[in-house]
Amino acid sequence: MIEVKELSKKFGRRNVLKGVSFTANKGEITCLIGINGVGKTTILNAIMALTPVNGGEILIDGERIHKGSYEKIAFIPDAITMLPQMRIKDAMQFMADFYQSWNQKRANDMLKFFKLDLNDKISTLSKGNTAKVNMLLGLAMDVDYILMDEPFSGIDIFSREQIAEVFTSHLVEDRGVIITTHEINDIEHLIDKAVLLDEGVVLKEFNAEEVRETEGKSVIDVMREVYQA
Amino acid sequence: MMRYIKLVNFELGRFLKIYLVLVGLTLVLQLLGVFLEANGYLGEVEELVVNGNLTQEQFLHDYGYFSFNDVSRSGWFIVPILFCILTLMIYVFFIWYRDWVGKNTFAYRLLMLPTARINVFYAKATAIFLMVLGLVSLQLVYLPIENSVLRMMVPSDFRIDMTVDQILNGFDNLRVIFPTSLIQFIINYGIGFTAVFVLFTAILFERSFRWKGIILGLIFGAVAVVVFISPILVQAFVLPEFFYPMELFILVVITGLIVLAGTIWTSNFLLNKKIRV
Amino acid sequence: MNVKFNNRDPVYIQVIQHFKEQIATGVFEPGQEIPSRRELANRLKINPNTAQRAYKEMEEQGLIYTERNLPSRITKDEAVIKVVREELIVEAVNSFIASVQSINIPLDEVLDLVKKKYETFQDEQGENS
Repeated sequence: MIEVKELSKKFGRRNVLKGVSFTANKGEITCLIGINGVGKTTILNAIMALTPVNGGEILIDGERIHKGSYEKIAFIPDAITMLPQMRIKDAMQFMADFYQSWNQKRANDMLKFFKLDLNDKISTLSKGNTAKVNMLLGLAMDVDYILMDEPFSGIDIFSREQIAEVFTSHLVEDRGVIITTHEINDIEHLIDKAVLLDEGVVLKEFNAEEVRETEGKSVIDVMREVYQA
Repeated sequence: MMRYIKLVNFELGRFLKIYLVLVGLTLVLQLLGVFLEANGYLGEVEELVVNGNLTQEQFLHDYGYFSFNDVSRSGWFIVPILFCILTLMIYVFFIWYRDWVGKNTFAYRLLMLPTARINVFYAKATAIFLMVLGLVSLQLVYLPIENSVLRMMVPSDFRIDMTVDQILNGFDNLRVIFPTSLIQFIINYGIGFTAVFVLFTAILFERSFRWKGIILGLIFGAVAVVVFISPILVQAFVLPEFFYPMELFILVVITGLIVLAGTIWTSNFLLNKKIRV
Repeated sequence: MNVKFNNRDPVYIQVIQHFKEQIATGVFEPGQEIPSRRELANRLKINPNTAQRAYKEMEEQGLIYTERNLPSRITKDEAVIKVVREELIVEAVNSFIASVQSINIPLDEVLDLVKKKYETFQDEQGENS
């Protein structure tokens, strides 16, 4: 499980995160929800040690992050993490060279599923296809945890559907997934847990099915309540 | 260790095209230089001896023999070298910044590799070192080639033949890059590579703190320089004539190593605790 | 399978409801093999944990059974299927009564109307099959 404890972060004078705490379990899809700029990307960056923090602690299966962690946890940011002049096959080769957890077979399967061409240069890909390649680079690793930053933003509806399919498939099964999004209606029925963020703190952290059962409310209903309080 | 080597390979591969241009350009321009300088000289010979009224002896007395020095001191020879130096100096910075600028977010990938982040630092430094040493070596390979062309063009009566060793001794400004003794080579390149490490650290300060980082980087650079030359400063201002030359030398080597260790420690700290994408 | 889920009722319960409907109407036959929970999640576009929960509940309710490492199957127990049918009918009836209760028409007329409409519907079904 990934535990985020009292995470705080300042950008200059601005206090973006003021003690954010939540957990994401393995085998579950946890969704960080909040308006643009609330700090969702910062939280993901912090978990991956891609940005320093001012306070708090982040534990992955009980440990602080170290270089070996990158074989256990993959990050799919909203920008592609490969060189634009690389062809898709070069990017895959790079991953295979550096990561023991790289699963070439799964990568090939995903390539077919997303209908991508190995020989395409990354700089020539459409936004939708770039997002798919990015996703492939993360999901083709045999990691326990996957972080995705806004996987649906700025993508056409058909690519979105394809990406949503990923969440219900074996590609994500048994792994702990944290995603951030503000397109919650597309994926409400896909997530296990919702973490509502506002003003640098977690306003509410809850299990979607539980709330449906006990209160008859959808995630969006809860969001309305919590954010308009 | 393997990942370090793979990174070095990767960094070299990224620069290959430009490197080949530098390699090719240097050879072409220097050969052109041999050709044009020799031609110029022969032209004078033709004008003044063949068509004019100077004897060969008089000509050689007034104008001298042709040697490789006439080539190595010409722009055709020196400018490509300067161009290579300039390009590599720019690349010392660009090798880092290229992973952050524009649509490129490769920095994410480098920082998420399952390897100690300092290996990224070492790999980039190693790539620069190998490229520099490569160019220097190639120049040494070019010299005999260029020398042969010279010999083919200028008749033996009019030329003084030089060995590669003599050619190198004939360099004036370029002696910094092509020192003639091993000790001097180690000193010059030792200082140069330490300087690259210091610059890398300054770059990491900027990448960690942006504007504040530039200032911190400059301060770091200044401190590094001061520490490095501190034995000399001590000798100059505090204890004049105190050290024997050999002692001074050893002290500077020690301060050099201290600076090197300092850059590595600082860079490691910045990469692990302070850097941000 | 094109099931529309609402976001206010627990999804796993909606899945079970869907299965009950399919069983009651005979679309899912007794003993019929059903997709793995993973496959179901993929087809219905739901979270695999939800599919898992639905299967667990259905197993407990006796709607499906799983023999060792074989794929799960719809129950062959006629008694269970009968109960499911009754449950669904009762639900439909309750729902119907709730809708028409406030409308002021005597029960006999209502039942007559139901009988007529039902028979017309049966005939149409007969023509189509």
